[in-house]
Amino acid sequence: MTRIFGSLRDGRGFDTVLVFMALGYLLVFSAFPLIYNIVMSTQSVDLFSLASFDRPFVGLDNYREVLSTPEANLIFWNTVKFVVLSIVFQLSIGFGLAMFFNQDFPGASFLRGLFLAGWIMPALVVGAVWSWILAGDFGVLNYVLSSLGVIEEHIFWLSDPDMSLYAVIIANIWLGVPFNMLLLSVGLAGIPKDVYEAAEMDGANAIRRFFTITLPLMRAQLGAVISLGIIFTLQQFDLFAALTQGGPSNASNVFQYWSWQLSFQTYEIGLGSVVSVLMIVFVIFVAAIYVRSTRHEHAM
Amino acid sequence: MKRYILLAIGLVLVGIYLFPLYWMYITALKGGTEIFAFPPTFWPRDPMFTAVDVWHRLQMDSYIWNSLVIALGVTVIVMVVGTGCAYVLARVRNRWMDVVLFTVLMMQVLPSSLMITPIFVSFNQMGLLEYPRLAVVLAQAAKVLPLYIVLCRATFVQVPNELEEAALVDGNSRVGAFLTIIVPLARNGILVTSVLVFLQSFGEYVYSRSLIAERSLQPATVGLQSFMGPNSSDWSGVMTYSAIYVTPILIIFVLLQRRIVSGLTSGALK
Repeated sequence: MTRIFGSLRDGRGFDTVLVFMALGYLLVFSAFPLIYNIVMSTQSVDLFSLASFDRPFVGLDNYREVLSTPEANLIFWNTVKFVVLSIVFQLSIGFGLAMFFNQDFPGASFLRGLFLAGWIMPALVVGAVWSWILAGDFGVLNYVLSSLGVIEEHIFWLSDPDMSLYAVIIANIWLGVPFNMLLLSVGLAGIPKDVYEAAEMDGANAIRRFFTITLPLMRAQLGAVISLGIIFTLQQFDLFAALTQGGPSNASNVFQYWSWQLSFQTYEIGLGSVVSVLMIVFVIFVAAIYVRSTRHEHAM
Repeated sequence: MKRYILLAIGLVLVGIYLFPLYWMYITALKGGTEIFAFPPTFWPRDPMFTAVDVWHRLQMDSYIWNSLVIALGVTVIVMVVGTGCAYVLARVRNRWMDVVLFTVLMMQVLPSSLMITPIFVSFNQMGLLEYPRLAVVLAQAAKVLPLYIVLCRATFVQVPNELEEAALVDGNSRVGAFLTIIVPLARNGILVTSVLVFLQSFGEYVYSRSLIAERSLQPATVGLQSFMGPNSSDWSGVMTYSAIYVTPILIIFVLLQRRIVSGLTSGALK
């Protein structure tokens, strides 16, 4: 007894306890729901069987049902579009800003830090502000675009089925740019200056320097930012809730919002679990690649 | 000279990026008819300060209070459970710790909106939904705990090992050395990370929306969402609500900006 107690105070027992406090918490509140989710996706779960443990096992019926619904295809492509467009723009804008603020001028790092003000705001509030900016009749974005001569008629960003997904994407790009810029700045700052000076002496112009030095040296960083971007984009829920709620008629719906709608609006909890399982498997796959690549880099 | 041109361009870029924030504050100050003026005015013609009215009309005191309760609860749980784990992960390096770190990182990526279905059903079965705010605190703590561990770990890595060894030679126990030497040295990192966790939880939405049915227990995000509604035309009210809600967040951010930026960059990439 005293030995165990002594080990807790002085030996490896102390480390073990500390680790298991956190690990235990995560196992109970994250890993268990994860497994429970898989179980529920093979059961028939509705409002009546919600509280009981004895639910009929239906095998892969839920999976078949979800995948054969007419909206599944649309929502799948929406999710792909949402992720790809968000990441392309977040990354390129973030990269451009990171390069700009990497130059030497007064207040550069302070101004760069200000961008994080967007990132720190609750996404639901960001959604509320953007839904006012994007409003069809009185929105300031329509005003700016039409006074610049880009558009002739007002765009009804949130209620036009052709535009609503792009409305959410615009807000999501805004939300994600600071994080991309911040991570890429760290990478840029790590490139030694004399590499550029040597290239300049050899007569490489700015564009060449970008493609032969900056991009190759940033490869690991870009990989990390892209995988983190995919993970964060697939976590985005609040913007959909605040802007379009997946509408009109699923035109802006994505899997992570659809899953919630199935479970909490139509109470088809078994179907909601199926969508969750499919998405979580994908997210974990991306994350595993990311974590493995950063560990590898760390070991070197 | 070139440096000042760059500074000017930098200011313009920040201005464009932060325009939505400006627009929120400006709209909050506009009166009923001016809101719907087209072309919109970029400076309120006659500013009206409606914060007090909105605060009372929308019962924001209860919403903000619930947000505070939830965010504080999450922060306390995460600090108590996560600090030690972050420390051990920074100190001990063996295959088991790699497994633990991998598990923690994997738990970080689970999207709330996809975890809420099993959490709702299992919490319902355990009777936790009787205490909806506690349910949200428990679920949200699991969501942000990995982030806390990863960022705090980066702080503990920077605390020199020798100080702990010296304390042990002087007759301190591991517990004593951890609490009196290590934690105080890592204080700043722990505090900044906790503030980040607090702010994240202060803006939590999915869990609260799904687990809290009773209006008087809902936090400010859910309150804002229900107030916006599909046919709301009270944009001045929505923006005033938003402004009241995020101003404290922005103040904390500006005060801690430097530390938050360095904490994020050291944690996210190591």
